[in-house]
Amino acid sequence: MPLILIPNSLATVNGPVFGDEMIQPGDSDLTRQHSGEPLGERIIVTGKVLDDDGHPVRGALLEIWQANAAGRYKHKNDNHAAPLDPNFSGCGRVLTDNDGRYSFVTVKPGAYPWKNHDNAWRPAHIHFSLFGAGLISRLITQMYFPGDPLLAFDPIFNSIPDESARLRLISAFDWPTTKPQHALGYRFDIILRGGNSTPMESYRP
Amino acid sequence: MKFIPTASQTVGPFFSIGLAPLYQNSSTALASSENKITIHGTVYDADHLPIPDAVLEFWSADGFARVPTKDDGTFTVSVDLPFVQSTTALHFEVLIFMRGLLKPVYTRVYLGNPEATASDAILKLVPQARVATLFAASDGSPKRFVWNIVMQGENETVFFDL
Repeated sequence: MPLILIPNSLATVNGPVFGDEMIQPGDSDLTRQHSGEPLGERIIVTGKVLDDDGHPVRGALLEIWQANAAGRYKHKNDNHAAPLDPNFSGCGRVLTDNDGRYSFVTVKPGAYPWKNHDNAWRPAHIHFSLFGAGLISRLITQMYFPGDPLLAFDPIFNSIPDESARLRLISAFDWPTTKPQHALGYRFDIILRGGNSTPMESYRP
Repeated sequence: MKFIPTASQTVGPFFSIGLAPLYQNSSTALASSENKITIHGTVYDADHLPIPDAVLEFWSADGFARVPTKDDGTFTVSVDLPFVQSTTALHFEVLIFMRGLLKPVYTRVYLGNPEATASDAILKLVPQARVATLFAASDGSPKRFVWNIVMQGENETVFFDL
């Protein structure tokens, strides 16, 4: 059935506020959540969260989850025959700072097979969940890596009809973020809906 | 200048890894417990089969709660009653995520009597025959309500666009 278009209300432009109490030490460093370090290529992922007017979204809660370097999720329903890593859970949380900037440390996830079609493999990706100003800004998406040969064949990536919108889900390798002797850097900026929205508290048709 | 919002992607089947830390039986608002109500129900697909791996978020101006559906498609959420504006009836905004959905679907759950809330500005936009899909029914206790969600087909729940 067609969706019914409704005007913004107070709740759609105001959302829950998650403060520092949501974040535990280590939540933004997925390589330091266990006694040892996970296997894989250590990476730093950073970027800015902006609204569609280009203003930074401050204090936005990002939740991320991903497979380990071997392409296996720590999830009871993932039965891919790749090893679990006892030093990697694959989830984290971070709040954006006053400039809308976020950063987390992790390992590059592996590609993994799924049964969508014959010989189907998901390109390496990190899931992102974001809370912006309100319901209208709520976003769950996936970040991909540049040069991944699987992108052209992935029905989920290609579910976005607009090519430029698809390409914006691919992070960029970033020298300034890359730390010598430590980790490669990737940059991924995110735009949320809801810039300059005007709450309508008493909409009357 | 308007920037183009980042595209949405499905939560996939393994979202509980990242979203479980925020699962809560109760909303975050600092309300007293006598202000809490419980809503429970089942999420169904087009064949009226329960959907075992959906995640629901309940939003109001005063609170937030996130719960997954269980293996039998059921959910139970405890939420604080929101402050009610004079022009709207008592309700929560609801976002539903699941694998296969590229974007969340957005609906509302209203509490109370459909006749008594007929003046609600949003309900007026809904065809009369479908309004009932947005109402939770008391299950006998004044603080417990049952609300089922049908994603598609007969008795499809009303979904909104913003």
